[in-house]
Amino acid sequence: MHRQIEFRVNGNKVVYSGDPLTRLVDVLRDDLRLTGVKEGCGEGECGACSIIKDGRLVTSCIIPVGACLGSDILTIEGIRDTEKGRCIVEAFRDGGAVQCGFCIPGMVMAAYVLLSSNPAPTDEEIRVAISGNICRCTGYDLIVESIRLAAERGGALWQ
Amino acid sequence: MAVNYVPSTLDEALLLRKDRKAIPLAGGTDIMVQGKRGLGLAPQLDRPVMIISHLKDELGGIRKDEDGSVVIGAIATAAEIASSDIVPWHVRMAASGMGAIALRNSATIGGNIGNASPKGDLPQPLILLDAEVVLISFDGERRMLLDDFIKGSKTTDLHDDEIIASIVIPPHEFTYSYYRKIGMRKANAISKLSLSAAATIKDGLVVDFRASSGAAGPKVIRSREAESMIIRRPVEDIEGIVPDFLEAWDHAISPHAMPRYRRNTTSRMLTRFLEAIVNGEPEGIVR
Repeated sequence: MHRQIEFRVNGNKVVYSGDPLTRLVDVLRDDLRLTGVKEGCGEGECGACSIIKDGRLVTSCIIPVGACLGSDILTIEGIRDTEKGRCIVEAFRDGGAVQCGFCIPGMVMAAYVLLSSNPAPTDEEIRVAISGNICRCTGYDLIVESIRLAAERGGALWQ
Repeated sequence: MAVNYVPSTLDEALLLRKDRKAIPLAGGTDIMVQGKRGLGLAPQLDRPVMIISHLKDELGGIRKDEDGSVVIGAIATAAEIASSDIVPWHVRMAASGMGAIALRNSATIGGNIGNASPKGDLPQPLILLDAEVVLISFDGERRMLLDDFIKGSKTTDLHDDEIIASIVIPPHEFTYSYYRKIGMRKANAISKLSLSAAATIKDGLVVDFRASSGAAGPKVIRSREAESMIIRRPVEDIEGIVPDFLEAWDHAISPHAMPRYRRNTTSRMLTRFLEAIVNGEPEGIVR
């Protein structure tokens, strides 16, 4: 039986010994103070709590920490100071993608996963990639344009 | 308060299942929501939960057996199923339309079956394909048709000491295939209604015909009685059989909400599929 859950968050080793059913979003926000991860619906519908687990986009509000055994977790804090992360954040800023900002960390994570596997996505592919991320300011067009801008500016960075 | 577990091995998991009746959790996309208590609180269920998402060697993976059957491990995710080139088309279509990307990366086939929601995406095409479910416990293994395993809305034949281990899809070859899911939006939508259909034509004879309706009753509906009206009939007779077949299918489904919409739309989807057979359209996917 695993009585402790060992995993990595943004490259740092984490050992969790509480209830394995604790939501990953709570561990990230409350225990690790990674408050860039936002909680919206708490049901995996809105995408605000999106993080990258072993290279794949997941919603941290419906993942129990016990399911992260040996995983590599990346949050917005882990990518924002990398070259790729900065490329997306600056494109979001310059493209006017941010209104209230609550959905943006999740949107950036979704864009990061998309561009890492598809450096030159079509608008349709961008829309599919963020289809699980809800923006209640409904600023989707500017977000899509900003992701396209990040792809164009990043160029070889995403290859 | 129920204590939750992370077993190290499949044997430990089977023991927890037997002794504590622990609920297996692989993706968590249903269970975490069912037990939701809000911000900062771990979900709680009336029984202990055991997390099995890391038991990939024992319960994961997708493979093709020598006889052509496709075996999907219970903790294979919707994303893995959607991107596999050995998984049958109907099942891939359903997997690729589940929720949105993040959900597909977590949600598993075993969970979707075990949850047994009439609106679940995967049981519908699996039942069309006569898929079987493999159940394991300390006492051994048993196998049954998924159509028999799912007994009704949210009820299955899973014994208290059993775990869903895998799903086996027998080989098939269809002339025509059809899949349609209708939801409120293109992505992130729960199925409002769905239909799979398939037919095989040989020497002008319909040798295989089947359909399955999702979200049109307490469980996925396949009417062998209606299907048998078309099987072993010459293609030129089908047009004349369509009205009786549609009536028989309408009789088999039992949608409780918006029944007129669901009955009407089911009929229209079946009509489109049968039209392709009657018109002798090119083989393949019917749209």
